[in-house]
Formats: sequence, C-alpha cells, structure tokens
Amino acid sequence: MLLFSLVLIFAAAALAPWLLRFGAVRASTFLTFPPLVLTGYFLTLTDRVGAGAVVESHPWVPALGVNLTFYLDGLSLLFVLLVSGVGTLVFLYAGHYMREEPQLGRFFFFLTFFMGSMLGLVLAGNLITLFVFWELTSISSYFLIGYRHGEEESRAAALQALLVTGLGGLALLAGFLLLGQVAGSLEMSAVLGSGEVVRDHPLYLPILLLVLAGAFTKSAQFPFHFWLPSAMAAPTPVSAYLHSVTMVKAGIYLLARFSPVLGGTPPWQWSLILAGAATMLLGVVLAIGQNDLKRLLAYSTINSLGILVFLLGIDTEKAVHAALVFLLVHALYKGALFLVAGIVDHQTGTRDIRQLRGLGRQLPLITVATALAALSMAGFPPLFGFIGKETIYHVVLDAPSAAPLLTLLTVLANVLLVAVAALFVLKPFFGRPAMAVDPHPLPAAMTLGPVLLAAGGLVIGLLPWLIDERLLTPAASAVLATPTQVELALWHGINLNLLLSLLTFVLGAGAYLGWLRWGQMAARWRPLAGWGPATWYKWGLKGLTGTAAAQTRILQHGYLSLYLLAIFVATCGFAGLALWRAGGVPLALQLGDLQFFEAVIALLILASAVVAIRSDSRLGAIVAMGVIGYGIALIYIEFGAPDLAMTQFIIETITVILFILVISRLPAYAELSSRGSRLRDALVAVAGGGLMTVLVLAALATGSESRLADFFAETTYPEAHGRDIVNVILVDFRAMDTLGEITVLGLAGAGVAALLRLRPTSKRGENRHQSQEQEEMRQSLILATATRYLMPMLLLLSLFLFLRGHYLPGGGFIGGLVAAATFSLHAFAYGVKRTRQILRLRPRTYIGLGLLLALGSGLVSLVTGHPFLTGRWEALQFGAMGELQLGTPLAFDAGVFLVVIGATLAILLPLAEGD
Amino acid sequence: MSVLLVLPILLPLLTGAATLVLRPSRLLQRTLGVAGAAALMVASLLLLAAVAKHGIIATELGNWPAPFGITLVADRFSAIMVVLAALMGLAVAIYSLGSMDAGREKEGYYPFYHFMLMGVCGVFLTGDLFNLYVWFEVMLIASFVLMALGGERRQLEGALKYVMINLVSSLIFLAAIGILYGAAGTLNMADLAQQLPLVDPGLVTTLAMLFLVSFGIKSAIFPLFFWLPASYHTPPVAVSAIFAGLLTKVGVYSLIRVFTLLFIQDVGFTHFLILLLSGLTMLTGVLGAMSHDEFRRILSFHIISQVGYMIMGLGLYTPLALAGSIFYIIHHIIVKTNLFLVSGVAHRLGGTYELAGLRDLYRLAPGLSILFVISAFSLAGVPPLSGFWAKLILLRAGLETGEYLIVAVALLVGLLTLFSMTKIWGKAFWQEPLQPQPMPHRTGGHRRPLYLLYLPMTALALLTVAIGLLAEPVFLFSMQAAEQLLDPAAYIETVLRGGR
Amino acid sequence: MEFLLALVIGALFGSGIYLILRRNPVKLVIGLGLLSNAVNLLIFVAAGLTRGMPPLIHEPAVRPLEGIADPLPQALILTAIVISFGMLAFTLVLFRRTFETVGKADLDELREETDQ
Repeated sequence: MLLFSLVLIFAAAALAPWLLRFGAVRASTFLTFPPLVLTGYFLTLTDRVGAGAVVESHPWVPALGVNLTFYLDGLSLLFVLLVSGVGTLVFLYAGHYMREEPQLGRFFFFLTFFMGSMLGLVLAGNLITLFVFWELTSISSYFLIGYRHGEEESRAAALQALLVTGLGGLALLAGFLLLGQVAGSLEMSAVLGSGEVVRDHPLYLPILLLVLAGAFTKSAQFPFHFWLPSAMAAPTPVSAYLHSVTMVKAGIYLLARFSPVLGGTPPWQWSLILAGAATMLLGVVLAIGQNDLKRLLAYSTINSLGILVFLLGIDTEKAVHAALVFLLVHALYKGALFLVAGIVDHQTGTRDIRQLRGLGRQLPLITVATALAALSMAGFPPLFGFIGKETIYHVVLDAPSAAPLLTLLTVLANVLLVAVAALFVLKPFFGRPAMAVDPHPLPAAMTLGPVLLAAGGLVIGLLPWLIDERLLTPAASAVLATPTQVELALWHGINLNLLLSLLTFVLGAGAYLGWLRWGQMAARWRPLAGWGPATWYKWGLKGLTGTAAAQTRILQHGYLSLYLLAIFVATCGFAGLALWRAGGVPLALQLGDLQFFEAVIALLILASAVVAIRSDSRLGAIVAMGVIGYGIALIYIEFGAPDLAMTQFIIETITVILFILVISRLPAYAELSSRGSRLRDALVAVAGGGLMTVLVLAALATGSESRLADFFAETTYPEAHGRDIVNVILVDFRAMDTLGEITVLGLAGAGVAALLRLRPTSKRGENRHQSQEQEEMRQSLILATATRYLMPMLLLLSLFLFLRGHYLPGGGFIGGLVAAATFSLHAFAYGVKRTRQILRLRPRTYIGLGLLLALGSGLVSLVTGHPFLTGRWEALQFGAMGELQLGTPLAFDAGVFLVVIGATLAILLPLAEGD
Repeated sequence: MSVLLVLPILLPLLTGAATLVLRPSRLLQRTLGVAGAAALMVASLLLLAAVAKHGIIATELGNWPAPFGITLVADRFSAIMVVLAALMGLAVAIYSLGSMDAGREKEGYYPFYHFMLMGVCGVFLTGDLFNLYVWFEVMLIASFVLMALGGERRQLEGALKYVMINLVSSLIFLAAIGILYGAAGTLNMADLAQQLPLVDPGLVTTLAMLFLVSFGIKSAIFPLFFWLPASYHTPPVAVSAIFAGLLTKVGVYSLIRVFTLLFIQDVGFTHFLILLLSGLTMLTGVLGAMSHDEFRRILSFHIISQVGYMIMGLGLYTPLALAGSIFYIIHHIIVKTNLFLVSGVAHRLGGTYELAGLRDLYRLAPGLSILFVISAFSLAGVPPLSGFWAKLILLRAGLETGEYLIVAVALLVGLLTLFSMTKIWGKAFWQEPLQPQPMPHRTGGHRRPLYLLYLPMTALALLTVAIGLLAEPVFLFSMQAAEQLLDPAAYIETVLRGGR
Repeated sequence: MEFLLALVIGALFGSGIYLILRRNPVKLVIGLGLLSNAVNLLIFVAAGLTRGMPPLIHEPAVRPLEGIADPLPQALILTAIVISFGMLAFTLVLFRRTFETVGKADLDELREETDQ
C-alpha cells in the first residue's frame, strides 16, 4: 500500500506533460488530487502508527541487501503529511501562478517527480532505497531551480545546488554502506536496532562524519548553506515547497531518523550544536540588508534549519520535542510566507521590500494570512509559533551544559525572526498604497494555500491537543527510540521562558526599527554574504577546472613521439619493478656453440641496424632494413625453418618495394630533434632492448620443452594427411589463426584501396591524367616482351608452390605472393589498366571470395556434426599413378591463395598507378 | 552447441566478405549490413542462453584436442560480452543507416564494420593466447580503416596516432606471447594456467607487466591512454560510437581474463598496481573531460575515467568487486555508445560538436534531451539508473576490503562526472540561442529520416533504465560470472576436456 | 648462439624503439618494420633453436625424424609476418595520405586538430 502511494505520485508525474495540454490550471487541479488523497490516507494511519512502525517490503536487489522497504513510524508520518499536505496546496497554487510560463509540462513533471521522491525518502526503510530517493530529490531540484534555463544565474544556481548536495550525497552513500557493513544489514529496522554496536565500532566516527556531511549539505548548514539563497532563482512555488518546507528538511529528517543509532555521543552533540549554532547566527547576519522578499525568507530558513540541528544536538528528550514542534511551526508559517511572496511578486511584479507598500487594501485576505503567519514566526501568543518558542527556551535553559551561552544564541536567533516577521508584514502591506497592482482578482486557489497554512498556525496554537498526542508523540518516540509524551500548552504560567519571550519581542521590535533606519547602510555589508564558503566554492570550481586544463596540457599534448615514449617508459618501468621485486630471474648466459657463418649473419644484422639508425638518406635506411630482414631469413634457414625463410624473403622484398613506392611522397630526412631528446630516446631504447634480451634469456633458462610439438609430429601425416608440419599447422591445427590472419591482410588491402580512393575533396581527375602519362612512359618494349613469356611460367610456379604446400615448403601464402608479384610485373610492363583488365575482378572481390572460400571449407564439417574447420578428406584413385588425398584444408589454403593475391594487388596496384 | 561458439565469429565474417564481394550498391550494402548485425544478435543470445543453461562451453576447432588445436570457450563473462558487442553492432548499424554518408557506404564501411565485430567477438571467445592476438589484429585493422576512411585531415591525424600506438601495443603483446611460449611451452590459456606455476615466478610477473601494458594501452588506462582522446572525436559519429562502446572494453576484457586466469601468482603486487592505476585512470580521465568544450572529446575522456572503475574491480580482486567490474562494463557499453549517438544528433541539429555552438536543444529536441539525461545521469551514477548499481557494487567491494582511498576517489570522480555532464547539459541543452531563430540544418547532406537515429538510441536508453530498475538479475549474472572467473578450475577443466 | 641472438634481438628492439621515437615519418615506419622483425625473431629464439632439422616428414615415413625444430613457433611467426606486413602496408599508405593532406615534414606538427 505504501508502495502504491509512491506509484500513484510517479504515475501522476509521468502523466503531467500530457495533462498540461488541457491548460495549466486544469492540469494542476488534477495533480492536486494524488497528494490530497495521500494526505487523507495517511491521516487515517495515525492510530496504527502510534502503536508501532508499519513495515512493508518488496524485493528489489535482494542479493545486494537492497529492498524497496517502507518504514512508516511517527517520524515518517509527520514528514509524509508535511510533504503531501503542503504539496496539495502548492500544486493548487502553482497552476495559477505559473499559467503563463512556457514548458509547463516539464515543470509539473519535475515538481510531481520531486514529491514522489521526497515521499520515498521519508518512507524508505532501507538505507540504499533512502539514498536513491535522496538523490532523486537533488536531481529534481536541479531541474526545478534551472527552470528559467535561459538565464545564466538560474543555471549556475541549479548547478551549485546539485554539486553541493551531490557531494554530500556521495558522502552519505559511503556512510550508509559502512553503516550497513557494521550493522550487518541495510534494512532500517535492523540498523535502528544496532545503535550500540555501531557506536562502539572503530568505524563510528567516519560513519558519523559521512552521514553528517549528507545531512548538512542538504539542510544548508554552515559551511554548505550558500546554495540555498541562490536556489531562490527557482519559481516561487518551488522555493516554498522544496527549499523551505520539504527538501531542505531532508537533512533534519536524516539526523532525527538516525539519532537512535548515531546520537548520544559527544562527537554527535558537538558537531550538531556547533554546526547548528553557526548556521543560526549566519542566517541572522546574512539576512540583514536583504531587500528581496524571497532571499530574506531564504536566510531566515537557514536560521531555522540551524535551530533545528542545534536542538537535535542538545540531544535531550525535551530538545527532540522542541525540534519536532518547531519543524511543524516553521513549515506552516514559512510555507505561507513564501506563497505570499509569490503572490506579491505576481500582483506587483517586484519583490523589492523598498518599493512595496500598502498592499493591504488590495489584498485584504492575504494581509490577514500574512499577519498570522508572521505572528507565528515572531512567536506571539496565541499562535503555534509561541508554543514552539517557549519549548525551545525551555530546552536551552535546561541544557546539560553551557546553558547561558546556548540561551543567548537562541534569543538572538529569535530576535531576527521577530524582525523579519515585522518587516515582512509591515512594509509591503501597510502604509499608503503606492503600487500599480494587477487589477485581476486573485484566484481563490492561490489564496487558499497561504490562508490555510497561516490559519493552521492559529488553530494549533489554540488547540494544541489536536496534534501533540496523535502526531508529535509518535514522532518523538521514534526519534528517541523510547516512548515519550509530547504535551503542548499555550500557558505555562509566568516563568523564565515567558520573560525571555518578552525580551525577544522588545529586542525584535528594536531590531525592526533599526533595520528600517540602518538597513540601507547594512545593505553595504551584503558583499559579506558572498564571502566565505560561497567564494570557496567559486575558487574550488575555478581551481578544479584550472587543474584539469593544466593536466590536459601536460598529458594530452599531442606529440606522438612523447606518447610513445611514455608507453615505453611505462613498459620498462613496470617490468623493471617486477624484476627488482623478484630479485632477478635465472638467465641462460652460456655462449654455446657459435658457428662462424651464424656470427657473421648476426654481425650483419647489427651493422645494418646501425645504418638504419644513422643513415641520413631514406633509401639507405630502407635498404638497411631490407638487409636486416634478409639476415633474419638466413637465420630461419640455418635453424630449420624453410617456410619461414621463403616467406620472409618475399615479404621483405615486397616491403622494400612498397617503401620505395611510397617514400617519394613522404618528407625527406631533416635534423628535427635536439641532442637532449635524442639522448633521452636512446636511453629508453637501450632499456627496452635490454629488457627484451633479458626476457629471451630468461625464457631460454626455463628450458621447458614445447608441450605441443610431439603431438604435431605424431598426427601430421596419419590424421592431417600432410608432410610439411608448419603448413599443416597453418591450414589445419591452427587454421583459425590463419583465417584471422588472411582477414587482416585482406582488410589491409581493401583498406589501402579505400583510403586512396575516398577523399574529402576530389583531386582525382588531375591525378588520373598524370598517372596515364606515367603509365605510357613506363611501357618498355623489352620488359613487355619478357613479361609476356615470363608470366605463364611464373603463374605456373605459383600454382605449383601453392599445391605442394601441404607436403613441402610452400603453400597458399607463398604461392599467392608469387602470383601477386607476377601481376605486379605485368602492371609495370603494360600499365595498371591492362593488369586490371586481365584480373577482370577488383582486388577486393578476390579478397572477399578468398575469405568466403576459406569460410566455406571450414563449414563443411559442420554438416557432419564436427567442429568448425575439421578436415574432411577424400582419396582420389589415379590407377597406377597412386592416390591423391583431397581435403577441405586444401580448399582452405586456396582461400588463402586468393586473399593474398587480392590483398597484395589491392596495395600495390593503386600505388603503382601513382594515385 | 559447438556451432553457437563459432557463429559470432563466422556471421560477421560472412557479412563482411559478402559485402566486400558484392557490387557496391548502397541498398545492398545497407541491407546486408543490418541483416548481418541482426543475425549476430540472435546468435549471441542463443550463445548466452546456452552458457546460462550448461555452464562453460567449449569447442575444439578442427576437432584437434586441447591444448594442441585452438579452443573456443565461453563462460558467462565471454557470453555477455558477445551479446553486448552484438547489441551495439545492431544499434549502431541501424544508426549508420541514418547517418553514414554515401561515399563511405560505397567504399566499404559495412564490410569493415562487420570485420571489426568479428575481431571483437573472436577476442571474447578464444581460449588461446596467440589466437587472441590474431583477433586483436583483425579488430585493429578494421578499426584503423574505419577511423581513417574518408580521409579528412583531422581524421588522418587522429588515425595516425591511434594506429601507431596500437601497433606498439600489439608488438608488446606478441613479444610477451613469444616469451611465454618459450618458458611454458603452450598457448592454450587453460593449459597455461596449469603450466605457469612451474615457471620462475619473477619471469611470470615480469611478463604480466608486459600484458598489463599491452592490454592497458588498448583499454586506455593511465598512463597509456593518449591515443584515445587524440582520435575518438575525429571519425563519423557512428564509428566513434561503436569504438567507444566496444574497443576499450575488449582491452578490459583481456585484462580481466589474464589477470584472473594466468597471472594470479603475485596478486599483492600485480593487482595492487592495477588498483593504483585504476584510481589514476579515473582521476586523469575525468579531469581531462572537465578541460574540454567539445561534445565528443568530453565523452572520450569519460571513457578513460570509466575504464578506471572497470579495472578497479579487478584490482580489488574479490568476487563482489569483479561482479562490480562486469556490471560496470555492461552498463558502460550501453550508456557510452548511446551518449555518442546522442552527440551525433546534436551535431546534426546544431551543425557542430563544440558546446559553444550548440544551444537550446532542450526546447528544440525534447526527446533528445530525455535520452541525454538518462544516459548522462546513468554515466555519473545517479540512482536508480544502471550506473548507480555499478558504482554501488564497486564501492561496497572497496569498503569491504578496506581500500578507503580508492573508494574516495571513485566517489569524487562520480561527482566530477556529474559536473562534466551538466556542463554539456547547461550549454548545449539549456542555453538559449543568441537570436531567437530556428536552428539551421547546416549539414545539407543529411536528409535521412530521424527515426533511424532515434530508434537505436531509445532502445539503449530503455535498456539503461531497465537495468537500473531491475538490477537484480543483472547483478546475479555478474556475480556468477565473477565467481566463474575467480575459480578457474571449471574453466580449465572444460577446456582441457574439450568442452565435453 | 642463443645468447648472441638474444643480443641481436635486444639491439633490434633498441633500434626500433629509437627510430619510432623520431619525428620523421619515414623513420617511424622503418622503426615499426624493425620492431616487427625483432618480435618475430624473439618468438623464434625464445622457443629454443634447432640447427638444420626442418619440421618435414619425408616420404615415405609417417612421422618426422627425432629432434626436428619446433614447428609451432614457425607457424606463429608465419602468421605474425603476414599480419605485420598488412599493418605496415596500411600504415605506410596512411602516412602518405596524411602528409599529402597536411603538407608538413614533422610529426610534431600534427597536433593542431586532434589535441589541445
């Protein structure tokens, strides 16, 4: 049922944008019903709650201990009624107040959404659920404060509120998680019962501080108070609802809720009293000199929030009573006054207290309501505010320690309330009328809110038994975690409290007069309001963005060579760290049987490496690179890898050709880097090279035999029907590698072609013309004749190499390369155009076909229920000539053959075209 | 079942090869491009269902027994990654229909796109270290071409850095494989897990560092991430989006795989280092984002900071923490892809990616605003969206292990992410135009229907919300996946038994 | 011999790293080529060397002689060679396109549009 009440509100929120098509007034009237119904429903629950908490649980993420648990006790109920009751009035009001504004669908969506979130917050019976709703109130507040998003001020205020409350929210989350960890459960009922465990735990202090950070930011306690006045950029209904009656009270709710768990310790008391007192005083000081009705109210709200925290910090039974009473007092009068401020603004177009005068005649009913609310604020009998103030004085006078100081502070705060109350009611409503007032009569829906709230203050003041037993007693019992009795009365006889009250009035009157007189002078202090935490926030933000910018300049500087340097340094650093930590690794340092020929190859490679680095001609360096490649091929031959050597020779040759085709378009060598950076790079290079040498020697020292080689030796001929083990690995044992490999090669080919063809601005016309000339020049008769005879032979050779691959060094790859080289030769002899004619299909088509062939050969075995790429073999009988094993791996190799031709030509032909 | 393991690799291969062979007709390319992605989606879901039902499944390619041939293997982690890759593949393929220009479509956008998906799925499914390298290369070369295709200047500059740094990463990876094979004599990862304890631990840890650097480059962790912000904002937005969603996560996947299966000899050193790097990655990433005023650059830097969260779970190395990492990856892939897609629509409406030039989208495009808010707030970890749960799990895991510092960093970075997202919101969406005039549709070439853009974005946003509201199944799945990772015995046994 | 080749590998890595850190694009690509070759040689050497015994099964035997070279690293290197050839070719053309478009001779000047 509790869940259903939330669903109701969120459903209303979802409907809001659609409802607004029928006009703001109708929509808002409709939206008034859900909170109204809820108010009624929850009022019926008072008796049940008085008997004990109502708990309702629905699983959400039970594996994390997170449930949609709702926990309704006296405290929750008090807040629920505030949220839904005041919500009803605010919705009624807002429909008229806002009716000429744009984007109302979104406005009412967020307002309703906020109401749902706030209800969820005070109903939540699971720490994480509570946090979820907590954050949702911050988010909806962000969008509501930023409602006038065209204005820079609104955007900044929205962001400020979001960041400050967001910061606290994150602390709160950490606090809750720790609390759940210590209490062993995230469920409220379990947490509330484990107060002693928590308070004795070493994590108590961190938990306390984190939770307080959440509460203080939300409830605008010093030093986080500054977001609240800025939040007045929101439309007035929002200020009334979120920023005075409900959302800013969430922090108070949190403190009250967890006081049985976290309270009762000196750190709790001291932090609450200090923060509360500071906030109280700050509210007083900053309110001075404010001329904007809303800002005036905002500072007095800060003051009141301070009082509430302060009272909770005093932490006695009576203090809790007083806090709850004052909470209600404040909600009634402050809600009314905010709505009045809105009405004044609405009717006159200004909220400046210096210009407002004599509205009493035009708005008689509102004047009465304002007067009642103001009297309650000032604490005049017989209003509820008087009871509230009396209870507070009673508490501070009886405070366990530092009673005189606490009393002094409280009186000071109340003096301000008197002065603000007087200012609020006397200045705008009395005096000679001098304002142009909107002639339209005020709609009843807008009057209803302030009138009802103000009247509430009077009714409760006269008849306090209406609420003390039914509403406040269960709430106080929940906060104190023991049964307690709240008894309210208007008249306690003549005692110290009363004297203090009288003193407050006198001082308040004095303050009001002083305000009128010196207020303008005091307005000069107003920059003071900007001092302090608000400035820290600004600096903090500036510092953060400055740091961010500086960091980005340092890290993301755009120099590729430095990026690479960082990577190599990191590699060597991390690996060095690991080696150092291990205290070294065993290395194979024996020189072994060195043969002269091999040593010469090694020296050749080393010498070429030096040339590659030192050469000041590009061609020289490229040739050196080629020599290194050939040297490595020789090593492959020497150590039993003929397939490898063949491939290496061909690839190295093509690579060198490729380089030569391309470098003419690349910048020539020039002295670019300084000596210092060359030295630095050399050091890193030596470290990197050294690391690799060490790793190779360490691998050799391990000396473990390959676990796989024997298997290949045993199965290559009998099962895979091949004699060249390397080739069989490529097309059968590890054919998947090869499938990936030819995909890479094919993509590189297709990619080069696409890269050269697709350009943002087409200059291809010119190039094409130029390349035709080049083609004509290239055609030499001798080459053409030679090619004509060579081509068939070379193609046959390639086919031969490809076919024998399974038995002797060769295979699809080497065969394909030879074929591609043949076509390249043709291109040189006859021009690329004619080569393309001979090929008939585009190179990328060859690539695609090859891939499809390889894929298809692997799929054959799926038909028989074997894994992908399982070889299927058939023996073909050739009578006397013996038999020939044909199998899918050969088809696979044919796919490789095609891809290699396609890819190599796709790379070489466009480059040969000079395009 | 063995078919299910190869299909996620073969279907993109088939689509890619077919689009490569067939005539460059745009209609054909587009149809095949989407149909192939849809088929992959179906196949991946079947795979997930099989894994959920039967546990870890494996198949020996070519019918050669492990460890001699190549084994494909899927546990829960692999399977969910394949599903996410397929999902993003489908979403961005549809989005491409509405955003990719004709020139790129003709010159092979769709083939390269699908080959990239092939590489990505290959990485997730292979059980062989060298095969992993091959799939990485397939993915890379395809992404190189996608990055450079079109050849605008900034694209080329970005691609060049992207290519060079990733090639270096591959070389380091390959060298590490070579040493590892020399020392342990095998390549099958399950077999390696059994052989590595016999190798000198100092050598193994040193090799672990090479893997950390190589995969760290691909996952863009500190101090190896430079290539990402230099390049991700340069190609067409569909390409950025699929890269943002998948490529770094391939690196993260590999990190998690090797640091739960192979390199668990010296957790006190290796995983602590990972945890340290995760914190630095979060911080430097988010600060980078704060210093930029261009939609896609901001998003790119956020990838980095989010990768920090993903490897934070690996660094903490508890079941809950790893579940957090997996949850985070699931959440992040969806959200980040979507944010890039949103930036593309913003660009189409406002003609620029610069926040200074984008205005008033809140009024002009309410739908886009909703999509942005959902994704952006989810990214920042606002409850109850998917990102909230991802962070919550990690925070809890961090607090349980007593790593308070990293938890503080993670929380702070969450707030800064929110700040950075509101910067985009405040400028591009909230700010009113200088002159009250309708936003000009400057990019004349784009006249394609908007629903092709909104369809995938809406689907992804709904998914984000759904994961947030129904986090339980996703969390349970992540938890089971994490438990599988932390108890490699089942994985090893399944692979070495040949998936039978 | 392994020891000497380990040094050669180190030297090739060192040269490759040094060249890849230069600012001239040609040096960069040459460095990349050297590194690819170095890695291939590393795989070859780290697995252990066997002189003159190619992994072939000569007719009419059904299994190879004892003591042949390990065929697997060879297969890996073959795959790696092809892959790095493809990558190198693509990179080379990418460099060409980039420097045609940009018209600068220094890699350090490729930063206006991507970073900052």
